[in-house]
Amino acid sequence: MENILTISNISKRYGKIHAVSDLSLEVKRGQVFGILGPNGSGKTTTLSVILELIRANSGSFQWFGQTPDKESRKRIGSVIESPNFFPYLTPVINLKIVADIKNIGYDDIERVLNLTGLFDRRNSRFKTFSFGMKQRLAVASALLGNPEVLILDEPTNGLDPQGIAYIRELILLIASQGITIIIASHLLDEVQKICSHVAVLSSGKKLFDGQVREVLAISDSFDLAATNIELLVNTVKFHPSFRSVITNAEKIQVFFKDHVSPEELNRFFIHHDVILTHLSERKRSLEQHFLELLNNNK
Amino acid sequence: MSRLLKIEFKKILTYKVFWILVGLYFVFLSSGILMAEFVINSMVDDMNTHLPIPLPHVTLYFFPWIWQNITFFATIRYVLIFPAIVIIILITNEFTFKTIRQNVINGMSKAEFLASKLLLIVLISLVMTILLTFGAFIIGISNTSGLTPAVIAEKSIFILGFFIAILTFQVFALFFGFLLRNTGLAIALFTLYVFIVEPIVYYFLKSPIVFKNTIYTYLPVNSVLRVSEYPAIPVLKKVMGLNLQDSISLTSCCIPLGYAVIMIVIVYWALVKKDL
Repeated sequence: MENILTISNISKRYGKIHAVSDLSLEVKRGQVFGILGPNGSGKTTTLSVILELIRANSGSFQWFGQTPDKESRKRIGSVIESPNFFPYLTPVINLKIVADIKNIGYDDIERVLNLTGLFDRRNSRFKTFSFGMKQRLAVASALLGNPEVLILDEPTNGLDPQGIAYIRELILLIASQGITIIIASHLLDEVQKICSHVAVLSSGKKLFDGQVREVLAISDSFDLAATNIELLVNTVKFHPSFRSVITNAEKIQVFFKDHVSPEELNRFFIHHDVILTHLSERKRSLEQHFLELLNNNK
Repeated sequence: MSRLLKIEFKKILTYKVFWILVGLYFVFLSSGILMAEFVINSMVDDMNTHLPIPLPHVTLYFFPWIWQNITFFATIRYVLIFPAIVIIILITNEFTFKTIRQNVINGMSKAEFLASKLLLIVLISLVMTILLTFGAFIIGISNTSGLTPAVIAEKSIFILGFFIAILTFQVFALFFGFLLRNTGLAIALFTLYVFIVEPIVYYFLKSPIVFKNTIYTYLPVNSVLRVSEYPAIPVLKKVMGLNLQDSISLTSCCIPLGYAVIMIVIVYWALVKKDL
């Protein structure tokens, strides 16, 4: 599929600190691409480089298969760090400025204000907005003129649960329209819920990238229960792939060395005359995977 | 170009601070111009109490001298500081609100951003020049008898001097705004430079004991003020035999314009080089 963004070996130093080192990424059309990493891992720096706010010390990048310029930025809608608008202007005038810069008409302003639920407040000054409304206006501004790519830097940061849910639904809605989305986030749960692909950054280095689904498909433990817990524990230890077990009063959690399917496990217990009252597979969460990756890298 | 101006208009049209400062500028400018005659004459009265032969009262605002005099009083630093501060605020606001970042993200180049501010400066200068010409015309007509088109036009070249002075002074302000990026700091350092630092350097360089040349005329702010260096007071000219400035010279216009060009180049270079 067509590459929307290609980053090749980008490095950015601030003095002795390597904010981003030798980063390469590819984002293809239609992906919801998550850039995941703890605070200070180089997410915002990376986004600032590809939007030409800061200059990389080395490396290059391409938008839409071409050397980037101001025209390529007009095809991208972005929210970086905080919503940046003139506090003394109304959202309508702020959005008109954006439209003028992008060389598009004002017809789309009503649509994006409606989409983000700000139409009723269109004539209030930006400084009277709550933080959630400011963030929504930033998204509205990014959506102006139907960009091919949407870049969101920590879009739900600082929002209340309702605001978070609103923004996430909005992102999923936009993604369903086929717009490519790049999201930087330190929230694993957010990336897990929204993204199709993910790259994990730590201290400016890419540790891992791939499909979110693939990462989540790795199973490594089962919750089991039976009438006789003691017998269950003693039996499971005979499984050829058995690694360890955590025993609770009503349930046990078993870890295996290799991949074990629920069907195979069930058959194993029936074979040993243990009837399970509970069997559930615990998928390894992105969070665990992420922490493991971070730890392995130290 | 019209696109950039359209953007600038939206940024200032409903900005209260801008209009308050513009209002103050008009108050200072017009009261400065209208009070000058009164102030000079009360100084003359004061001097006359000590002089054996009394000096006559001066009149400043009649054709053709009104062009020179109105330009002189409209380009003193206490008046020019207003449009300069407006420009500093408009530029540093963009850094404070991070709207310059957002403009660049949305697809404006840094060169376009600088160009939009320069266009605004040119436009403000043009509007002020037209207003001043209009004002001078009205005052001049009501104060002069025996008007001919030739008399009205005679010294009108000074209006060009006003345009150059207000334009270049705002470019100096733009320079401070873009390089310092912080409103308070830029205003403080700019006013300090204009009112304290450069005058001190000026008098030091002017001292005939130290330097026997005219290097002091090349100081940036002073070069702007020199475009219209003295008011023309024909009566005093006759009485005291003073032969001061008669017209604006090409050199006196080129020096501040040269500074403006250098500053724009530095601002552009810094803007491209530095991260936003």
